[in-house]
Amino acid sequence: MIKGTAASDGIGIGKILLIEEASLEFTPHPVEDPAAEVERFRSAVNTLIAQTERDAAMLRETAGEKEALIMEGHISLLNDPALKGETENLIMGGQCAEEAYSSMCDMFVGIFSSMEDEMMRQRAADVRDIKAGLLRILLGVREVRISDAPKGTVILIKELTPSVTAGIKKGNIVGIITETGGKTSHSAILARALEIPAVLSAANAVSRLENGQPVIVDGSAGIVIPDPSFDQLNEYTEKREAYLRERAELEQFRGRRTLGADGAEYELVCNIGKPEDANKVLDHDGEGVGLFRTEFLFMDRSAIPTEEEQFAAYQQAALILKGKPLIIRTLDIGGDKEIPYLGLEKEENPFMGFRAIRYCLKNRELFKTQLRAILRASAFGDIKIMFPLITCVEELRAGKALVEETKKELTVLGIPFNKDIEVGIMVETAAAAMISDVLAKEAAFFSIGTNDLTGYTMSCDRGNANVAYLYSALQPAVLRMIERTIRCGRQAGIPVGMCGEAAANEMLIPLLMSFGLTEFSVSAPSVLRTRKCISRWTKLEADGIAEKAMSLATEQEVADYLSKVVSAAK
Amino acid sequence: MVQKHFTVINAQGFHMRPATNFATAMAAHPCTVTIRFNGKEINAKSPMLIMAACIKVGSEIDVVCDGEGENDALAAAAEMIEGGFGE
Repeated sequence: MIKGTAASDGIGIGKILLIEEASLEFTPHPVEDPAAEVERFRSAVNTLIAQTERDAAMLRETAGEKEALIMEGHISLLNDPALKGETENLIMGGQCAEEAYSSMCDMFVGIFSSMEDEMMRQRAADVRDIKAGLLRILLGVREVRISDAPKGTVILIKELTPSVTAGIKKGNIVGIITETGGKTSHSAILARALEIPAVLSAANAVSRLENGQPVIVDGSAGIVIPDPSFDQLNEYTEKREAYLRERAELEQFRGRRTLGADGAEYELVCNIGKPEDANKVLDHDGEGVGLFRTEFLFMDRSAIPTEEEQFAAYQQAALILKGKPLIIRTLDIGGDKEIPYLGLEKEENPFMGFRAIRYCLKNRELFKTQLRAILRASAFGDIKIMFPLITCVEELRAGKALVEETKKELTVLGIPFNKDIEVGIMVETAAAAMISDVLAKEAAFFSIGTNDLTGYTMSCDRGNANVAYLYSALQPAVLRMIERTIRCGRQAGIPVGMCGEAAANEMLIPLLMSFGLTEFSVSAPSVLRTRKCISRWTKLEADGIAEKAMSLATEQEVADYLSKVVSAAK
Repeated sequence: MVQKHFTVINAQGFHMRPATNFATAMAAHPCTVTIRFNGKEINAKSPMLIMAACIKVGSEIDVVCDGEGENDALAAAAEMIEGGFGE
């Protein structure tokens, strides 16, 4: 078995087709007529641009718009005046086109591959790709085309380049194995767009596998099984069918509203951590964002982000979502996360200490900068503000007072914002759940954070193996906290959501529906599965399940009962 | 010669798309366009040089335009940078 990176879900069973790049070695030779050599170089660039345009058009049909844009990105690199100009200078200085272009490309590859940002390191792959393309034309080497590969082919290649990918016929290629590339590499993005299972960065795959060898590619687990046994073939054929069945089933829920079996409608939104994640929300058919964590803006840097920077990030998310709801949680930072410039002291008990809203209310300028950025962004979408870790009414009042103060300042400056912006809270402490009847009168909405609520209610640290057994959202104590919070919110007529992992837990979903939860906020890849789980139950059925579950005494009994009910419904 | 100082506000900085769009827009102007950043001078018509300079959010840069149409070029640059590249 060869391990690699699980880059594109699914299972492929087929035979290896090793794609070896033809040698692009050349012997540098001095040029007698530099002007003619420049012409040879220019005409090669033009040929490659034309070829890349054709590949982009092909990719647009097989994979999609975004993938075609990758190829079109190559065209702008080919046209780059610095790359072209410097290459021509080197040629005029007597080098041959191959040598001049290679050395310029290698320089950029060096720069890009040493960058910290993975997205930028990907540019190195782009430059290597155009360098290979140009050398192929200059040297007259024919490119490997895989459009003739027969059905049931697993491609094995050092690095999957967009130009190779452009030749892939979806029905014939059942798997992809490469030696390089991570989850966010072009190879991975292309494989996912084509829905072909892929294992990337499989160490020494090219030397360990051979042409024509039967192989299983498990793109969900990130493993390659060469020469599978009869039993393994059976096992993976079954797995493959189950995977395809489930995916087809989930796809039926795309583009549909989130409805219970009786037609009651729920809101199904997503949790995100970066503005660009909003794209994933749309890709996975989420109906908006129920939790935008803003900590990323403050991590891995040396100073507090400016208002402009924060505004740009919030605005970006709002613009991507085009009017869909976006709940932004204010800074949830504390003694357990190292952010040197915030001057947080090490605490004995960080989870009980100076964090989140407690820290923000003491650091008014930092907090108001964030509120100002959020308010300004509220002119560009349906933005709501959410405070984390509220434990008493005074904190909510103090936070809301700062929002009002900030609004007045913006009004004076004539800066547009949504004057009716809603301010809600996370209910994630036992204290907030207990006084949720009082809080509901002053908060515009609740969002239950089950991860912290479970830890605080059960007084246990899930990272401590000796007490982790207590950590479960199905504990009767936690269920009572959740039920109470939802009931109090409902009685006050405010929406109640849940943004912890529990919102996507199929065992908990009927209970949440019965309690009256209105919004489920889950990770983007869980959207369709959650929509399907919700569609299983009517309110009446959910009520019956909840009544029984709440009468049970232990977590084990609750878990056993709910798992029985859920498997019976499938 | 005209020039202007900017703070980069879009979250991604001069990432692939912003750098490419910026360079393409600048290439349409006949004057030279240079970005001064961290003591370096970068040809703003080259997406690769811009990306290689690693200009992130919060970076302080100067854009210098020199030659025919320099005012138009600087105005176009300001619109893109201050508008956060429409991110």
